[in-house]
Amino acid sequence: MTMQEFRLAAFKAAMALGCESAETFEVSGGDFEVTVLDGEIDTYASSRSFGVGLRVIVAGKNGYAYTERLDAPEDLVRHAMDNAAVIEDPDVIPMQGPQTYAAVQAPAQPLCDLSEREKIELALSMEAAAKAADPRVARTEYCGVTTSWAHTGIYNTYGLCAEESTKNGSTLCYVIAEQDGQPQSGGSYRGGVAAADPTALVREATEDAVSKFGAAPVPPGDYPVILRYDAAESLLGGFSGMFSADAAQKGLSLLADKEGTRIGSEAVTIIDDPLHPIDPTAFDAEGTPSVTKTVVERGVLKTLLHNLKTAKKAGVASTANASRSPASPVGISPTNFYLQPGTKTLDTLLTEMGDGLLITELKGLHAGLNPVSGSFSLLANGFEVKNGRIGRPVDQIAIAGTFLSLLSDVQDVACDLSYDHYGCGGIGAPSVRIGALKVAGAE
Amino acid sequence: MISQSVAERVLNAAGETGGDFAELYMENGCSSRVSMRGGVVENAAYSESCGAGVRVLKGTRQVYAYTAETSEEALIATARAAAAALDGVGEGREIAFAATAYGATAQIPTGSVKNDRRIALLRDGTNAAKAVSSEIVQVSAQIQDSHKDVFICNSNGVWATDKRPSARYYISVAASDGTEMQTGGEGPGRGMGFETFDQFDVAAISEAAARRAVTMLHAPECPAGAVPVVIDGGFGGVIFHEACGHSLEATAVSKGNSEFCGMLGKPIAAPCVTAIDDGTIPGAWGSIGCDDEGTPSARRVLIENGILCSYMMDLLGSRRMGLPVTGNSRRQDYSFAPTSRMTNTYIAAGSDDEEAMIRTMGDGLFAKAMGGGSVNPLTGEFNFSVSEGYWGEKRRDSHTGPRCHAGGQRLGDPDEDRPCRPRDVDGAGRLRIDVRQRPHQRRTAAHPRQSADGRR
Repeated sequence: MTMQEFRLAAFKAAMALGCESAETFEVSGGDFEVTVLDGEIDTYASSRSFGVGLRVIVAGKNGYAYTERLDAPEDLVRHAMDNAAVIEDPDVIPMQGPQTYAAVQAPAQPLCDLSEREKIELALSMEAAAKAADPRVARTEYCGVTTSWAHTGIYNTYGLCAEESTKNGSTLCYVIAEQDGQPQSGGSYRGGVAAADPTALVREATEDAVSKFGAAPVPPGDYPVILRYDAAESLLGGFSGMFSADAAQKGLSLLADKEGTRIGSEAVTIIDDPLHPIDPTAFDAEGTPSVTKTVVERGVLKTLLHNLKTAKKAGVASTANASRSPASPVGISPTNFYLQPGTKTLDTLLTEMGDGLLITELKGLHAGLNPVSGSFSLLANGFEVKNGRIGRPVDQIAIAGTFLSLLSDVQDVACDLSYDHYGCGGIGAPSVRIGALKVAGAE
Repeated sequence: MISQSVAERVLNAAGETGGDFAELYMENGCSSRVSMRGGVVENAAYSESCGAGVRVLKGTRQVYAYTAETSEEALIATARAAAAALDGVGEGREIAFAATAYGATAQIPTGSVKNDRRIALLRDGTNAAKAVSSEIVQVSAQIQDSHKDVFICNSNGVWATDKRPSARYYISVAASDGTEMQTGGEGPGRGMGFETFDQFDVAAISEAAARRAVTMLHAPECPAGAVPVVIDGGFGGVIFHEACGHSLEATAVSKGNSEFCGMLGKPIAAPCVTAIDDGTIPGAWGSIGCDDEGTPSARRVLIENGILCSYMMDLLGSRRMGLPVTGNSRRQDYSFAPTSRMTNTYIAAGSDDEEAMIRTMGDGLFAKAMGGGSVNPLTGEFNFSVSEGYWGEKRRDSHTGPRCHAGGQRLGDPDEDRPCRPRDVDGAGRLRIDVRQRPHQRRTAAHPRQSADGRR
């Protein structure tokens, strides 16, 4: 059966068995990855996959089932109906009707146009460049090129038809450098147009590794801190779940009922923009047309992120932040979610801070950060800053605090906005100056 | 399952361009997940997955291709896609397969369980958690049970099947005093069918999670600094799993990316540390019949009295290092080439008394419950969160630190022989550590080990 035949048969069975409506969320795609080591191909992978998520509404309740086997549509409908029958949550989860969508211009992905041989050559040239960049580079830890394509379609019995194709290509280089018998790792990556010329990322990867030699903790205390763009991205991404209206409505976000109130300093403006040219999408996972919104404006919370269910409950319109995979229920996620940059450079922020710490990397985000309590305690790397100048590297320290007190203590934001998803959309932040953060280090 | 003649055609297609080893992996699985929030059933989902991966090795070069479609035509196309990465010439040949069936039979298979049984358990757990305190503001509970059949055949004649049931209960409880909120959670699982829940006291597990949330709500901040730490038994072993275990996997060691490279036979831990990886414990979460390359599961001493005895080897690591495979190959699913991973890993019980260790610690932290953590295998630098901790000698009545965090380097100092093993660990003398629970990493390129692990 083709996916279309499967869908039509499933819809027919669903309506015959008494469902109010049925919807499929279909994803098909392909991946390619090549990595090299010592001038030869190390790993090479090329694949295709697909999956169909079925959602039915029976007596106002949603039930889900997912399959990668396109042979028994009616069985899948029955599984979904069984699941709908046990739902007790009184919240209504509507299904989107037919919509018209803005035409979006996908960014160029030159890597996707390369032949497999050319991708291999690109990876080999990156490895050679990394080894030549600094005599302390011993080898690469991961050096490769990945490309992927995906086609997403959402269809339902109300006539919704939302289809989108995406492509991505990225280059990644992680190196191991050695000095006095001590190893250090460092890395960088690029997506989109920037991925085709690896010169800058190889330089960043090697500088990242060699800059860490001689790192040591600092004494514990409260320090003025600049979170470099990458560390700021990590923190914003880790706490982005607090902006979910679903979490708020369930009492699992400190931002519940805080719309219209101040949650950060004047320097904090946060935008969620699914239509941003860096990685635009025309609709969300329920087929709602994309909406650009200011989530926090100069420190004041303007809106939480909604899907159809939370919007209906709150009496507002969906902000087009529904998200799901074919195998999971509808949830809420940010799209291109970024802290709006300012006009100053990172150097200016360092000068204005004078003495303090520049944090360049946060680790253990899955464990040391709690979006429900809003607190964090994270292993960090970075540099000492003296008189506005970057000094010796720092490692094995932990920074701790709460996300909301940190937002209130943002003194300034730089102009160097960067994104976490290969630099191509997702969570974005510029470097951020914080008044003071608690740091645990060596006695 | 496919016939041996189809398998032979697929493997020969994979070897057409000169690979010296070809392997076909197939899986077929189904899973049910029901979640309850605040006492009402919020979501119920069923999913079934199937797919196949073809791997070709030429020396230590590895090529992998996978497909969700498992017809002979699709498998051969996938094999040719993998073969296309090599440029030699191979010869088709007859393969003599030796079939072995592994795996646990679930007493209550997931497919035979109706949702009302899952819901009854979720309701018991939710009620037990709510009853702990009026400060409990939200209870989220979930049951996930699944079954996976895996099949591996290769050009060396391996023909192995494994049955892998699993069941897991998750509970997350939030407590609030009106201004602050804290959470407590538990997520025990077994490599068994739904009979898992005959062994679990869901109410007691849920109460423990709720008590943790309330305890942490009233806990003062933990002092910062380098202090002595006693880690409780049971899930406390996660610190070994992350900070040391991953660095003993061939994936890290075979490329020289681990601080334990070249350390076989040498002291790497305090003499009181003996660590074991055992994939054969019946019904344990990490147990397997055979690994994802068809090698039988085994029990292996990794560290004995501080001396490094063994790494955990998959086939590619074995080729790179010239050491035998150890039954530690694993793939997250068919879309991943196999890599080396722990099964059930634990620190063997010793002779020291936990109460005495805490009493003699002085100013320090008793880590009663650990959250997750991670390690850079190259440098050994690790980080962990402590989800419930107590300060100094007044543990259990004076609490420390919401979100206190431990970091450092290395498991122990080989030159010191400090008492550090509790006598009674987790009742059974074992630290059950969950191999499939490697914390989820955000989908970002900023983490090199996502790719090095075979993740993407």
